[in-house]
Amino acid sequence: MTARDAGAARGETVEALEARAPFRFPREMVVGLLLVAVAWQVVSFFVPPFVVPGWERILTTLVTLRLDFVLITLARVAAALAVSFALGLGLAVAMYASAPVERYGRPIVRLFMAVPVVCWILFAVLWFKWVEFRIGFVLVVVCAPVFLVDVLDAMKGVSRDLRDMLRSFRPTGAQFFTKLILPATLPAILTSWKINLSLAIRVVTIAELVGAVTGIGYGLVVAQELFSVAEVFAWTLILVVILFLAEAVLTRVEERLLRWRT
Amino acid sequence: MTAAGAIEVQGVRKVFHQTGSGEAVVAIDHLDFVIPRGQMVAIVGQTGCGKSTFLNMLIGLDRPSAGRIAIGGRTPYDHFDHFRGVLAAVFQQDRLLPWRTAIDNVRLPLELLGRDPREQVERARAWLDRLGLGRFERAYPHELSGGMRQRVALARAFVIEPSLLLADEAFGHLDEVTAAALRATFIDLARSGGNTAILVTHQLEEAIEMGGRVLVFGRPGRLLADIAVGQRPAEQAAGLRADIQQMLQHNAPPTKESLA
Repeated sequence: MTARDAGAARGETVEALEARAPFRFPREMVVGLLLVAVAWQVVSFFVPPFVVPGWERILTTLVTLRLDFVLITLARVAAALAVSFALGLGLAVAMYASAPVERYGRPIVRLFMAVPVVCWILFAVLWFKWVEFRIGFVLVVVCAPVFLVDVLDAMKGVSRDLRDMLRSFRPTGAQFFTKLILPATLPAILTSWKINLSLAIRVVTIAELVGAVTGIGYGLVVAQELFSVAEVFAWTLILVVILFLAEAVLTRVEERLLRWRT
Repeated sequence: MTAAGAIEVQGVRKVFHQTGSGEAVVAIDHLDFVIPRGQMVAIVGQTGCGKSTFLNMLIGLDRPSAGRIAIGGRTPYDHFDHFRGVLAAVFQQDRLLPWRTAIDNVRLPLELLGRDPREQVERARAWLDRLGLGRFERAYPHELSGGMRQRVALARAFVIEPSLLLADEAFGHLDEVTAAALRATFIDLARSGGNTAILVTHQLEEAIEMGGRVLVFGRPGRLLADIAVGQRPAEQAAGLRADIQQMLQHNAPPTKESLA
């Protein structure tokens, strides 16, 4: 008997059981992913293993990988996202509070967003010696503008009715921000986190390809140099699983913080 | 708490400039009147006669293009913070914060005033109870009906015990039964506190029912009539209603002496 069945037997509703579950993976998603996995395995029967290795080969390789590389990559992503969010939020508040700051700042942000990731990586290699700083720089310069634009647009989108209502009670500047602007912007902040999480995981691996001697990106370089296709797929699988789990965690956080929407 | 003094409106004009074309639109042409402290006033007029614009200027959210609005000698736009805890408004839409429960919405003005958290909860709870929402204090706005949400908005306005109460078409979008009940509650609460209360409405019955003073606005924003309603027999109230309706239709001041 599964936990869900046991809960159902105790008379708990499906909603209550789902709300208690740490993560929620919809049946459709699980079925879709299983179909891809099965198709992959079928293809592996007809093509050489150095093109499409079968699951047994990928999973066997998986256990031989250096898992500390996974933790290092995750730490880099977490630190860079925290810095990016603080920077993006701070600048968004400054631009919201001051029209001239926004008028001068917007084009600069647009310029930053127009530069391809690969160019930022090259700049980082040319400008900075310390590898961790290079990776952090690339992640922050790519993610912070996304946070900034998302949060600023959400702040500006707060309804005039609500702003006037709050102003009629004469809040201080800080109260206006903490009682209205910040909570009203929270859904956009969480969406921005989801977008940036996926962006950061993709960017960090590319950044780690250049110069790093640790992390998943470095692991991928080594696998490519050794022509170990199974290892490349194993690292990819880890990245995908991390992304799915991180998104599931964020979705749970979102459901908890935005329960007033349901 | 500072009490709100008399409201003086002197030669007030408000002009908006349309975005894009820059064309000037006169929302209020000329307003001149005084509302003594503690009076109940209904402002009636057709859509577009500048009722809400006037109220926004009275709240201090906007300033007149010309003339002066003062409460107790101070202009609400320029002395914005002076009116902290002095005035409260109920709007056409409830304007509740959707992420706050009913009690947390009612607590909001007390939080802004920096009151003790325990006091905030006690007072918010007392007002919700008084308005029949005691059982719904933990409900989010989307879980409440339109009438219940508007009652929460009323509680939010009354919780700071303001000396100046403003209601901008606050009951117009509700069904007649709910609107009448809330209107009666609003009038009772305003009277019991001895507050100055201004009710902006386009419904003549609502204005006359208040039993105070009715200011009839014409288009664009000017005073057509200033009527002391008092408690009138039903047939007189019906006559008054017809007279005001005629004024609004012709957008002209009254011709009958009885309204003067």
